Amino acid sequence: MFKLPNLAVAAAAIVLAGAVQAGPLGIGSTATPEMIAGWDIDIRPDGMGLPPGRGSVAEGEPLYEAKCASCHGLFGEGEGRWPILAGGEGTLDTLHPEKTVGSYWPYASTLWDYIHRAMPYPAPQSLTDDETYAISAYVLYLNDIVDDDFVADRESFAAVKMPNEPNFYIDNRPDVQNTRCMENCADPANFTIVTTINGVTPTGHFKEDSGVAANHYGDSEPAVKAVEVAMSDAATAGKSVYDKACQACHGMGVAGAPKVGDASAWVDRIQTGMASMSSNAINGYQGPNGVMPAKGGNMSLSDEEVSMA
Amino acid sequence: MTKLYEPSLPKLMEAIATEAKGMRGMDRRNFLKGGIAAVAGLSSVQMIPKANASANLPPNLPEWQSYLGRGVVAKPYGDPSEFEDLQRRTVPWLTADAASSISMTPLQDLEGIITPSGVVFERYHGGIPNVNPDQHRLIIHGLVERPLVLTMDDLRRFPSVSQIRFIECPANGGMEWRGAQMEALQFTHGMLSCCEWTGVKLSTLLEEVGVKPEGKWILAEGADAAGMSRSIPLEKALDDTIIAWGQNGEALRPEQGYPLRMLNPGWEGNTSVKWLRRLEIGDQPWHHREETSKYTDLMPDGRSRRFTYEQECNSVVTSPCPEKPLMQRGFVEIRGLAWSGRGKIKAVDVSLDGGVNWQRTELGELVIPKALTQFSLKTQWNGEPWLLQSRAIDETGYVQPTLKQLRDERGGWSIYHKNSIHTWNVTESGEVFNVQIT
Repeated sequence: MFKLPNLAVAAAAIVLAGAVQAGPLGIGSTATPEMIAGWDIDIRPDGMGLPPGRGSVAEGEPLYEAKCASCHGLFGEGEGRWPILAGGEGTLDTLHPEKTVGSYWPYASTLWDYIHRAMPYPAPQSLTDDETYAISAYVLYLNDIVDDDFVADRESFAAVKMPNEPNFYIDNRPDVQNTRCMENCADPANFTIVTTINGVTPTGHFKEDSGVAANHYGDSEPAVKAVEVAMSDAATAGKSVYDKACQACHGMGVAGAPKVGDASAWVDRIQTGMASMSSNAINGYQGPNGVMPAKGGNMSLSDEEVSMA
Repeated sequence: MTKLYEPSLPKLMEAIATEAKGMRGMDRRNFLKGGIAAVAGLSSVQMIPKANASANLPPNLPEWQSYLGRGVVAKPYGDPSEFEDLQRRTVPWLTADAASSISMTPLQDLEGIITPSGVVFERYHGGIPNVNPDQHRLIIHGLVERPLVLTMDDLRRFPSVSQIRFIECPANGGMEWRGAQMEALQFTHGMLSCCEWTGVKLSTLLEEVGVKPEGKWILAEGADAAGMSRSIPLEKALDDTIIAWGQNGEALRPEQGYPLRMLNPGWEGNTSVKWLRRLEIGDQPWHHREETSKYTDLMPDGRSRRFTYEQECNSVVTSPCPEKPLMQRGFVEIRGLAWSGRGKIKAVDVSLDGGVNWQRTELGELVIPKALTQFSLKTQWNGEPWLLQSRAIDETGYVQPTLKQLRDERGGWSIYHKNSIHTWNVTESGEVFNVQIT
């Protein structure tokens, strides 16, 4: 072997990359392994993409309760309209199918991929690999897919089989065949006309006697805007944090979260004092009125940012 | 100028009643609603136009003709007229949170086949990211000869195409599987839009990176909080997928993936990944959350279809509809839209009697593959009740099915891909209601 000066190695690498790179139009730059490594976060059922690391069911429990339970419920039962994660076995062919991780999802890898890429809802890609293994293991445990002593790592996790995997098949449409009949195609005597139930849809934009307003999510904004009017610099900084991290629950009243503008819900809390409210927001709260994960599940926020919000 | 005066409340009510006498049906009620709202608002500015509407009618000089109007670039990027009320709307109870939700296009208010960018339906899984295009990159890697990172300027150097294509959420109509539920066209069919999209064919980009022979699938991933991801078969990518930066003559709207999105023509909307940051070529699909837990179709036997990509042939009458009742007896043009994820619309038929007898309609001038296509039937209405339906046929010969045919095959819990013939009940008063015939 012989040694090359570093500069020569770099020059050789550039020549090599240049030779490989020549696409038909020669547009763009080489995506380096470092660039790809930072963005290549996907996991496949065969285990491709699972990183080193580990997490147990036992480690997953407190993480789940702190970061997931405020929306998904302590037992994966789902708060409000947030997704139900556990239960539902044996319901898929009934009149009330309940599609959960355990009853429906065909692959465990999807759980790891999705928790890591998109959860907690207000703080995506904030979990470490070990935390993701632990929470994934705990959600599998909530579904009786693994035992309470399960430790998830690259090998053990890729080996998990989901019960509903065999029940998926590739799209086989077109599955129905209508014909282009033009006359006497149906017998009106057999018609049953089913009408809509009044009041389930917003119709205020075209019906004056509708009990339901033509509302949309935007209608909840004025309450926030009213606060904006007299905001100090500190409050403005808080508003930005609120929009990014808090609004998902406090805009909708999830898990007993008092809504912005709901004065009666806030009054008891305000009486506990600003220090107590900030402490709850930073450290989390679990009590008769609801649950709040520490920092709303977004640990990347500093204590100062939470207090301002 | 209009004479300004402040009428007493009884006088105003009398004026409203007089104006309303000459009207009928919805028009009259809408007018009364407007007048009453003006009274409730206690604003003379609001009241005067209502009470004095005839001041602008012939033979009088219209108020807006009596002084100079706004000059050029007073609004460098214009708005619709203040008299229009074109807006996306949602049904809040459908989802837990606005950042992972859907809103619908006001099909009842649109003209032609192009959806204005501002009212294209919205579907987010983690809200709209605020992407700086100078700092946005598309990485293409995996089973390729030359992994590339592309800037927006790089992408615009490639040969480009502009195509008019619809995008539809597979859940469009999904609230109606087990019964008529939504009381408006915007909510029964509004997860549907059609735009002109400009970008580069994905096949061109794949030539540039050189797909290895074992490459069969592509993972498309967004730069949103959900990291939205879908597995796309290579055959589709080589067929007609485009990577788009333009929409209706300008940059994509943030709602539609600014600065870069995938567009899979004719396929369920969520596969057209927005805020596209990464394409990975692999030898098998990824089975991510939005192609296992969601966007799979549960059948009555408890098994599920997956990779149900195509949006099958569908149509709906857009006028009349619940939001646009029949106002006058006599001549009426029944108008509607048809579309198919498998190609061009070949024909559309309309029935006035719930599908017993059908009449052929005239298609609009533009019949473009995988795009909204207009249809029209000129007829007479003299107060008789109608069970108004439309039935589209695409160039593959597929005939839009009845609701019964779909339900017999798929039951009531598959959520997605409900493309059955839709029924409006037009009543003697001209009002229109969403009904189902079972």
